[in-house]
Amino acid sequence: MGRKKRKRIDIADSGALSDLAFLLIIFFIVIAVFNVNKGFMLGLPKKNSTKIVNTLDIVKVKLENSGVLKIDDNPISVKELEDEISNLLNERPNLTFLLKIEPDVDYQSVVNVIEIVRKLEVENFSFSMIEASE
Amino acid sequence: MKIKRKKRRAPIVPINSMSDIAFLLLIFIMLISLINYRKEVKIEYPEAEFQEITQADKNIEIWVDRWGNYFYNGHQSSISSVEGLIAQSVAENPSVRIHIIADKNTPYKNVNEVVEILKLLQHRAVSFVVKGASQ
Repeated sequence: MGRKKRKRIDIADSGALSDLAFLLIIFFIVIAVFNVNKGFMLGLPKKNSTKIVNTLDIVKVKLENSGVLKIDDNPISVKELEDEISNLLNERPNLTFLLKIEPDVDYQSVVNVIEIVRKLEVENFSFSMIEASE
Repeated sequence: MKIKRKKRRAPIVPINSMSDIAFLLLIFIMLISLINYRKEVKIEYPEAEFQEITQADKNIEIWVDRWGNYFYNGHQSSISSVEGLIAQSVAENPSVRIHIIADKNTPYKNVNEVVEILKLLQHRAVSFVVKGASQ
């Protein structure tokens, strides 16, 4: 009786190594993505630095403690602000956006305004907190 | 007498050792995970649909929770120690990127404290970290 020869499996042929390598690659990609911070880069002014701008190009936006946005003292929603700034940018490309923030406004409201500024690529953007004495 | 030639066997790798390899890989992956471990503070991230990658080669993360507590490397710190830490890091490496990771419900004045420190140190940039609205 002829004995059947056991078929030997070569690890390289089995495909297991390539599976492992593939899983490792996925793992490292996932780990790399986890630790990447995303958000907004904001430039801070130099000490005692001044910049001369045309007063007609300035848009003053105030963010009140209640989360209400005001443009030149008129209440406005976030969506309306986006449209307004977009229109103003077409008329005045050198637009300067001044954001005054009241101290107790929630951080999310501030982020909402910064998002608009970044999305519309407003080059001149300045933000500051209104001190209690102001 | 005819001498029989020994048949040469093809070299093989024993498949039984696969479990050992898998085990070693598991340990390796666990160690790597520990190295990349980020000490998260429990906050609700602010959300934005539009965002940019703000990660740099050298980064410092200052966390601000809802109640205005400051954290660095998972440990709660006072604002004066945060100032000392930022000053030291900026002195060592002026191109270090400072990330502010604040709770979306925290009053802005808490975030402004860190911004004011950066202005005082004449550090020219700050990153406000957000998460995608769908994340």
